[in-house]
Amino acid sequence: MNQKPGKGSAYGWLFQRITGIFLAFFLILHFQVLHFTKDWKIDFSLVTHRLESTWWVIFYLIFVPAGLFHAFNGAWQVIHDYRPKSGTRKTVKSLFWILGIALSAYGYYLIVTFTKGA
Amino acid sequence: MYESKSGFFKKYVDEVGLNPNVGTWAWLLHRITGVILVLYLFMHFLVLGSSLAGGETFNKWLSVVQNPVFHFLEIGLAAVVAFHLLNGLRITITDFFFVTKAHKAIFWVAMIIFLILMIITLIVFLPRIFSPH
Repeated sequence: MNQKPGKGSAYGWLFQRITGIFLAFFLILHFQVLHFTKDWKIDFSLVTHRLESTWWVIFYLIFVPAGLFHAFNGAWQVIHDYRPKSGTRKTVKSLFWILGIALSAYGYYLIVTFTKGA
Repeated sequence: MYESKSGFFKKYVDEVGLNPNVGTWAWLLHRITGVILVLYLFMHFLVLGSSLAGGETFNKWLSVVQNPVFHFLEIGLAAVVAFHLLNGLRITITDFFFVTKAHKAIFWVAMIIFLILMIITLIVFLPRIFSPH
């Protein structure tokens, strides 16, 4: 398998760890707020109320793309272990980037929806 | 890590067979939990997307995923997240601080923290399953 290392693979490795560290902290907070609090019956008003805080909006603006990058880059690493052909590599990579950006945009749209309230 | 061209799942069986050590199991579990989390993320987006149809639709979806069955599954989700998070930190620590030789010891430390987190999770979640709203 004469795979050239290429710049992309090292950046993928690095950013998987950087986003991973972010997500470790973010997910602990996310679980603390949404799964481990006394007020555990979540509804629309609870979410919109939280999104009234600018800090929570900033939190989600980082959380969404960081999570999606980590997810798609991780999925890419799984596929990469099967040593796909050059054409497949390019197709899957492009597809993952498009899906990642599209879902980030969708996530941002949902954040805006929640900040507007009912 | 892997060079053989065997089938989709066989490659994992081969990998564990070739090197049946803690690190390989950690790698395999990290991969399995990672794939589960990617699939969960899509489901998460789907539920959140219902908010576009308004607060009432969103609440309907949320009441579906907040019944005792889903609270039971939530324990599994917490386990998957906790493992992936702790083992991910282990990988990052061994990579960045050049302590590869200690990776097994760090794994067991991570697993002790995992057990503590799961005990806390059970204490919090079991009442939700048996005494729903």
